[in-house]
Amino acid sequence: MDSFLRRLLYYFRKRQFEAELDEEMQHHAELSGRPKFGNVTLLKEDSRAMWTWTLWEQLGQDLRYALRTMAKNKSFTALAALSLALGIGANTAIYSFMDSILLRSLPVKDPEALVMMTWQSNARDEESPHSISVMHGVHTRSGSSYNDPRKGYVSGIFPYAAFELFQKDDSVFASVFAHYQPTPFNLNVKGQADVANGEFVSGDFFRGLGVPPAAGRLIIADDDRAGAESVAILSYGLSQSRFGGAAQAIGQSILINNIPFTVVGVAPPEFFGVNPGIAPDFYLPMHANLLLGATTRGWYLNQNVYWTEVMVRLRPGVSIAQAQAAWAGRFHQWVDSTATNDQERADLPELAIKEGGGGLDALRRRYSKPLYVLLTLVGLILAIACANIANLLLARSASRQREMALRLSVGASRARIVRQLLTESVLLASLGGVLGLSFAIWGIRFLTLLLANGASDFRVRADLNWHVLGVTAALSLLTGVLFGLAPAMQSTRVDVIPALKEIRGSQPRTPHTFWRINLGQTLVAGQIAISLLMLVAAGLFVRTLSNLQSINLGFNRENILLFQLNARSAGHQDPEIASFYGDLRTRFSAIPGVRSVSLSDSSLIEAGTGEPIGVLGAEPNPANRILTVGPSFFTTMQIPILAGRDFDERDRPGSPSVAVINELFAKANFGNQNPLGQRLVLNAGPVRREMEIVGVTKDARYGSLTRDIPPVVYLPYDQGFPQPAQMVYALRTAGDPLVLVNTVREIVHQADTRVPVFNVRTQTAEIDRSINQAIVFARLCTAFAILGLAIACVGLYGTMSYSVARRTNEIGIRMALGAERGGVIWMVLRQVFLVSIVGLGIGLPVALGTSKFVESFLFGMKPNDPVAITVAVAVLIAAAVIAGYAPARRASKIDPMVALRHE
Amino acid sequence: MEARTEIPPGTLYMLILRTLLRIGPMHGYGIAQHIQQISQEVLQVEEGSLYPALQRMLIKGWVVGEWKQSENNRRARFYSLTPKGRKQLAAELAEFEKVTAAITRVIQPA
Repeated sequence: MDSFLRRLLYYFRKRQFEAELDEEMQHHAELSGRPKFGNVTLLKEDSRAMWTWTLWEQLGQDLRYALRTMAKNKSFTALAALSLALGIGANTAIYSFMDSILLRSLPVKDPEALVMMTWQSNARDEESPHSISVMHGVHTRSGSSYNDPRKGYVSGIFPYAAFELFQKDDSVFASVFAHYQPTPFNLNVKGQADVANGEFVSGDFFRGLGVPPAAGRLIIADDDRAGAESVAILSYGLSQSRFGGAAQAIGQSILINNIPFTVVGVAPPEFFGVNPGIAPDFYLPMHANLLLGATTRGWYLNQNVYWTEVMVRLRPGVSIAQAQAAWAGRFHQWVDSTATNDQERADLPELAIKEGGGGLDALRRRYSKPLYVLLTLVGLILAIACANIANLLLARSASRQREMALRLSVGASRARIVRQLLTESVLLASLGGVLGLSFAIWGIRFLTLLLANGASDFRVRADLNWHVLGVTAALSLLTGVLFGLAPAMQSTRVDVIPALKEIRGSQPRTPHTFWRINLGQTLVAGQIAISLLMLVAAGLFVRTLSNLQSINLGFNRENILLFQLNARSAGHQDPEIASFYGDLRTRFSAIPGVRSVSLSDSSLIEAGTGEPIGVLGAEPNPANRILTVGPSFFTTMQIPILAGRDFDERDRPGSPSVAVINELFAKANFGNQNPLGQRLVLNAGPVRREMEIVGVTKDARYGSLTRDIPPVVYLPYDQGFPQPAQMVYALRTAGDPLVLVNTVREIVHQADTRVPVFNVRTQTAEIDRSINQAIVFARLCTAFAILGLAIACVGLYGTMSYSVARRTNEIGIRMALGAERGGVIWMVLRQVFLVSIVGLGIGLPVALGTSKFVESFLFGMKPNDPVAITVAVAVLIAAAVIAGYAPARRASKIDPMVALRHE
Repeated sequence: MEARTEIPPGTLYMLILRTLLRIGPMHGYGIAQHIQQISQEVLQVEEGSLYPALQRMLIKGWVVGEWKQSENNRRARFYSLTPKGRKQLAAELAEFEKVTAAITRVIQPA
C-alpha cells in the first residue's frame, strides 16, 4: 500500500519528479560523454506512466485533444452529433415506453415474490371462453383472458371457491388475495357526480402487497364479509382532487352507485393497484359487491362462475416452479370436481402460476410487440446514423494520415492512437447522447399523444428515470465505439515513411486506399439495405392504414357526436329508467343544429353482445349478436333500410315487441323469403322475449373494423330483457358535433345532477381510436423511413463526393484524352448504381424474410406485398440517383487543365 | 557499432540490487558502469531500460534515492538498498540459481 502513497505523492509533486528525472539523465549523458541518448521523450513518457494512474492521465489528455479536434471541425461535429442525437433520442423515447410498460415492477414491497394465478385450456372455439364447458358464467373486464396461439385459452379469473381453496395453502403461499375491477362506477362526492374506476379487493389485498396507507387504514380481513360496514379506500389522487388532501378524506361519506360508503383510508401516492392499464380511483372490500350488484350473491356460491382474479405472495425462498408443482395437481382435482359431465371434463382449466411482480399483463401483451417493432426501427435508424459517421470519419482519417504517421514515428503505440481516436468518437457520441435526451423528452411527449390519441384513460406515463438514462448512456458509448473502431483501426494502418514524405495538402495515396474506399462503399450499401427495410415497413403500414380507412362502414361516420350516460348506476331503476333515457332523447332532438338523435347500449364500433336469440322454433346460432337501440337509430346512423321500417315512437314499453335484422341475419335465416312479419325469440334462462321482425337493414359495422360483421338483431332498448343500463347517445348534427358538448352537459345536468356525461367523442374520433395502432405505425414508420433515407443519401453523397475529389486527376486525364462529359457522369453514376444494387441485394431478402414478423399489424394484404416492395425499391433508387447526381455532375465539370495542375 | 549482449529479461532488477549491495549508494551512471565492468563488458545496460527500472524500484520501495554531490561536482541521485530491496534480492537470487541450475542440467551433455 505504501507504493500507493508514493504514487499519490508523485501526483502532487509531478513537476519536481520530472525535473529530477531530467537532471538525472542529463547527468548520465555528461558522464558517459554521449550527448543524447535514445528516445528521451518516450523514456520520460514511460517513467511517467509508471508513477501515475496512466489511464486516467491519458484519458484527460485524450479528452482535451478530442475537444480541440471537435472544435476545429465544427460543421462535421454538428452534423454527426445531430444525426446521432436523432437516433439516440428516438431510441431513448421508445425505450422509456418499454421501461414503463414492459419492465417496471409494481411499487409494492418485494414485488419479485408476487405471482399471478392463471389457468389455460385447450378450448376449441377460439372466440369465447364459454366453450370451456366448466365455465357457466364469466365476468371480467381486466383483459386477463385471451387466446394464445400456443397455449390455447389463457385466463386469470377464477370462481370464488378456487380462491378459498388457494387460501387453505399452508406450505408455499405467504398471502393469497383476490381482486377484480368491474365496469366504472358512478361516484358522487358532495353532490358532484362523476364516473370512476373502482376495484373490489379481498381482505388480505393491501397486507399481501405490503402497501402502507397514506392516511387512515387500508382494507383488512374483517371488512371483507357480507354485512360488514360499507368502507372505501380512496386513491391518493382522488383524495387530493375531491377532498384537498388524504387526511381530510378520512371519515367522509361518498356515494358509489348511489350507495353510501365511508372513507376509512387513502392509498399511497405511488400505488396504482395491480393493473398498470387501469388505475382504480377507489378500493372496496370484495363483499361490498353484494351491495352494488343484484347478481353477485350467486357468484360466491357457484363454482362454475368465473369472476375474480387471484394474486399470491410466495413464502420467502419458494420459487414459482415449486408453487406450480405444489398446486397443479390440487387445482386439477378441485376443478375436476366442479365438472358435472364428460363434456365438461374435456377441456378442464390447468393451473399456470405466472410472475406477478409487474402486475396484470394485459397492457404488456397489448404493447410489447408494437414496442419491439418500433424499437427495431429506431435501432435501424441509429445504425444508419452510425454508418454515416463512420463514413465521415473514414474520409477524415485520410486527411489525418500525416498526423498519425508522425505520431507513430515518434514512438506512439498503435493501441494508444486507436484509444485516442476512440475517445474522440465516444465523446462525439456522448454529445449526441446529451442532445438526444432533449429529443427524447420531446419524443416521449409526442408518442404519449400519439398512443393515447385522445383517450382519456391512457395511463401509460413514460419518463426519463435513472434506468432509462443508464441505457441511453450505454447506447451512446456503444455507438461511439461502433462507428469509431473501424476508422480508428484503419487510420493507424499507415506506412509511416511514404505518408510522411507526402507533400502537405496533396491527396494521400497509400496502398490501403483501395480497401478503405471499399469499406466506405460497404457502409453505404449497408445503409441502403437498412433504408429499404424501413421503406418496405413504411409501405406496408401506410397501405394497411389506407385499407382500414377505406373499409365500408355501412353507416355515415361524419357529423356524429357520441357520449355515454349510466342512469342506472346513478340510482335510476326499472321501469322509470327507460323513460328517463327517452325524455333525454327528446330534449337532445330540440337542440338547434341537431338533425336526429338516437341511442344504443353501446356504439356500433364497440358493440359486442351475444344472447341466445334466433328464429322462433329454431336452434339459435351462437354467432348471432344483438344491439338494443332507441327510435330513429338507422336514420341517425344513416344505415340504409332495405325493407320495412326504422324503430319509431310507436315502439314503446307495452306496445307490440319488434325487432330489425341486418341483411346477413336475413340471408342466413330466411334465404329468399321475406323476413318481415317473421318472429324471433330471445331465450336466456328464465327470461324470454318474443318479437316480430319489422325491418331489414343493410349490413353495418358491428364491433371492431377488422372483424367480420356478424348476423345482428336490433331491439328497442325499452321492450324487456336486456334491461337498459348504460346508454350511448348518437346526435347527427348539421355542423361540427363538438360545439354541442356544453349544451348536452347542461341538459343532462338539468335532468339529473347525479348522472355524469362521459366518454364524449365524435364518431370519426372513435373509429380513428380503434385503428390507432395502424395510424401510429403508418405515421411513425413513414417518418422513420424518410429520416433513414435522408441519412443514407447524405452518406451516399458524401462517399461519392469524396471519391470524385480523390479521382480529380484521373478524371482530368480521361477528359484530356477525349472522354465525354456524359461518359464521366455515367462513370460516377455507375458506381452509385453498383452500391445501390449491392444494398438492395442485401436488403431485399432481409425485407422478404422479416416482413412476416409484422403480419399481425397488417390488414387486407400479405406481408410480402408487391406494391409496397416495388414502391420501396423505386423510391430508393430514385433517391440514390438524386444523391449521386450532384457529385457526378461535379466530376463532369472538372477542367482537365486545372485537374492536371492539381498534382 | 559492436554487437551488444542483451541483458536476459527479468534479470535487470537483480543486477541493480546486487550492485547496490556490493558498492553501496550509487547514481544511475555508476550502476551501469559497474555492471559493465564486472561483467567484463558483456552486459551493457541501456539508459532506456535502466532509468525506467530504477523508477519502478522506487515505486516498489526496493531502493530509495538521495541527491548528493557526484564525482563531476554535479548533483546526482544516489540509490541505496532498503530492507525490502535486500529481501527482494535474496528472493531473486534464489530463483535465478534455481533456474540456472535447471538450465545447466538440461543442456549438459549426457
